[in-house]
Amino acid sequence: MNNTVLELENISYKYKNDLILNKINLKINAGEKIALLGKSGSGKTTLISVLNGTIKPTQGEVKLFNESFEELDRKQKSKITTIWQDLRLIEDLSAEQNVNCGLLAENNFYFAFKNLLNISSFKKAHKYMKLCRLHNSIYDKKIRKLSGGQKQRVAIARSLIQESNILLADEPFNNLDPKLIKTIKNLLLENVDVNKTKKSPKTALVALHRLDLLNDFDKVIGIRDGKIFFNIKRDNLKKIHLEKIY
Amino acid sequence: MNKLKLNYTSLSFLPILVCIPLGYQLINNIHFGGFRLFQEFLISAFNPKIDNEIIITVIKRLNETILIGFFSWLVSIIFGAIFGIISSNIFYKIFNIPNFFYSIIRFFLTIIRSIHEVVWGIILMQIYGINFSIGIIAICIPYIAVNSKVFAEQLETIDYKSFESINQINAPKFSSLLSLIWHPIINTFQNFGLYRLECSIRSTVILGLFGIGGIGTSIFLSFQTLSFRELWTYLWSLAILIIFSGLILKKIKFNTTNKILSIFFIAVFFITILFSFSYFLYFIFNNNSENFNSVSSLFKSSSDLGLFDFLKLILETIILSLLSTGIAISLPPLVIGIFNNNSSKIFIKIFAFLLRLIPTPVILLTLLTFNNPSLSLAALSLGLHNAGITSKLLFTNLDSQDKRNYIAMKSLGISKKTSWLLGLFSQQAKSYLAYCAYRSDIIIRETAIVGIIGSIGLGWQLQESLSSFAWQEVTIVLIAYSSIAIVGELINGKIKNSLT
Ligand SMILES: Nc1ncnc2c1ncn2[C@@H]1O[C@H](COP(=O)(O)OP(=O)(O)OP(=O)(O)O)[C@@H](O)[C@H]1O
Ligand SMILES: [Mg+2]
Repeated sequence: MNNTVLELENISYKYKNDLILNKINLKINAGEKIALLGKSGSGKTTLISVLNGTIKPTQGEVKLFNESFEELDRKQKSKITTIWQDLRLIEDLSAEQNVNCGLLAENNFYFAFKNLLNISSFKKAHKYMKLCRLHNSIYDKKIRKLSGGQKQRVAIARSLIQESNILLADEPFNNLDPKLIKTIKNLLLENVDVNKTKKSPKTALVALHRLDLLNDFDKVIGIRDGKIFFNIKRDNLKKIHLEKIY
Repeated sequence: MNKLKLNYTSLSFLPILVCIPLGYQLINNIHFGGFRLFQEFLISAFNPKIDNEIIITVIKRLNETILIGFFSWLVSIIFGAIFGIISSNIFYKIFNIPNFFYSIIRFFLTIIRSIHEVVWGIILMQIYGINFSIGIIAICIPYIAVNSKVFAEQLETIDYKSFESINQINAPKFSSLLSLIWHPIINTFQNFGLYRLECSIRSTVILGLFGIGGIGTSIFLSFQTLSFRELWTYLWSLAILIIFSGLILKKIKFNTTNKILSIFFIAVFFITILFSFSYFLYFIFNNNSENFNSVSSLFKSSSDLGLFDFLKLILETIILSLLSTGIAISLPPLVIGIFNNNSSKIFIKIFAFLLRLIPTPVILLTLLTFNNPSLSLAALSLGLHNAGITSKLLFTNLDSQDKRNYIAMKSLGISKKTSWLLGLFSQQAKSYLAYCAYRSDIIIRETAIVGIIGSIGLGWQLQESLSSFAWQEVTIVLIAYSSIAIVGELINGKIKNSLT
């Protein structure tokens, strides 16, 4: 069962004179859980931004379901959900309003309006916030008044509420304590069945720094200076691989 | 003594040097003919006329003022927000509109804003005759443009990345726009929009001086007939109106979680938009423009305004702005610093309040009782009125400032004035100057008012050209005004940037 979901063909990204991504080739198959390793500044965030279509590569092609990104309409690109390293929440809105923003795409203008006026039903948002261990007391708190870990989980809830099958997550475990990390990891990699229905398994690419969290992933990709150094099954990961990228 | 160092503190005091040429001209122009009038003017402040008749007039006139002030405020704040949105970066990013349109709309708003509401008012009056709604329209035109600038500035602070995150999941554009701008808009309305009501009441009063109606018209008429006791009845009732509206507005807090209130505001929003549009159309089609028959009259009317005269008028206007700005910047810290004790402070505060309360033209007319009309006198009136405004800000900031440095310096035996200067004011100087830079934008526009009344500069020419229906001259004067104001705004923008 090797149907490719996302594919990068010979991707390079140049910013001013710096080559930030250098001729990257990558295939992500349905259901794969991939960990993306690399030291700080190696290009993980940039790679994720290319994968979700926020950054247009200088060279090369991005394909989603074997179709070139250029030809895909925005609706199809939006099948990908992203947890950003810098979260990108709307600071002035409350936690639940931000989580609801994840639903803007599948709803009309009236929903956005109701969300801002607090007259929409927040049931779905509350469900996902509960899953992320966020308590009632912070539902209507503004983002700028939350702790680092709470903000992190609001961003995660906003991503989960999209119930998307393709997840890109950029260091999603930042600011979380060990117990929360375990809970969140299970949610992201769908080791718990949120909707109690059987669906096709989630495809996930997660950038992370913690090597002790690798055991739920199928594959590990190592990146350094904008180049992929290895792309292997997790079981094959050796110390020598890590020495190359760190 | 040390050499004078240029820092923010000394820069706040330096502009007082304008008093040298100013004082020279004023002293040369002094006359004692009107001294008794001036005395009467002052005494009447404590003895305003109060009887049934005048109270009825006051109520009627105040109603008109509130009506014009309130509606022009409401319309200008709502359309200001709308124009603010469509002249903000984020709008162009979300809808992918070429930046070209962004520059055009910004330029257009800058021009509209550069012309004072009084100028709009007298032009519209000349075209349509005196009419109640002209007051509202004349205030709305520049106010919409001013408000839109403030809204747009606040919207520029939105983090582009939070837009990217919504955009990536393909949210509908209007939903993204609304979610992103919602809070900046509400905050700006709270912090800036409410205060604009006071501005629009003041503008209504000034337009009233030119005959539009409301309390301003009564103030002007009573001054003309030298009925100072009546004059003060009107002025004090205006003071009460301004103080009360300020107190009420301070109480208003927007609770966006209150559904009924939110729905009420949304309803007001849409009704205002609908009503303004339909009223505007009604106004255009139901008012014959008596004196402005066609655009072609712009080109037909000949102008006998020579280039040299014209340049002289521009120069006068610029000097007028500079002199008034000098007074508005330096007078408040100087007076507050010199008379630095509690009883003087109260006196200064009352005086500053009066300077804010009394419209600039009335200040000018009062000063004319013992001084011949001159550029300096016009500058003094405009400068004093604005000093009333800058000193309010300075007082507020000084009062809320941490006083430990000041107390420490005093306890070291440093004199009270020096401690005030180095321990208190020096920490305020930078933000005070930044505010003054913003204020001088306004002063440049307000030169029109004193110009018209005091026969100075472009304001005078505008009046002349209007009364002889020389539309071409009017256009030239407006372009000149606009250019001065725009150049001023650019320079002040640079100054503000270097101060923040
Ligand atoms: N907006 C930008 N403008 C210019 N250069 C950038 C920008 N964003 C990233 N870079 C550069 O691109 C390179 C890769 O950055 P990237 O953010 O992808 O690294 P990263 O692997 O995510 O690092 P970290 O683990 O610290 O998040 C870095 O050298 C960085 O300086
Ligand atoms: Mg990163």
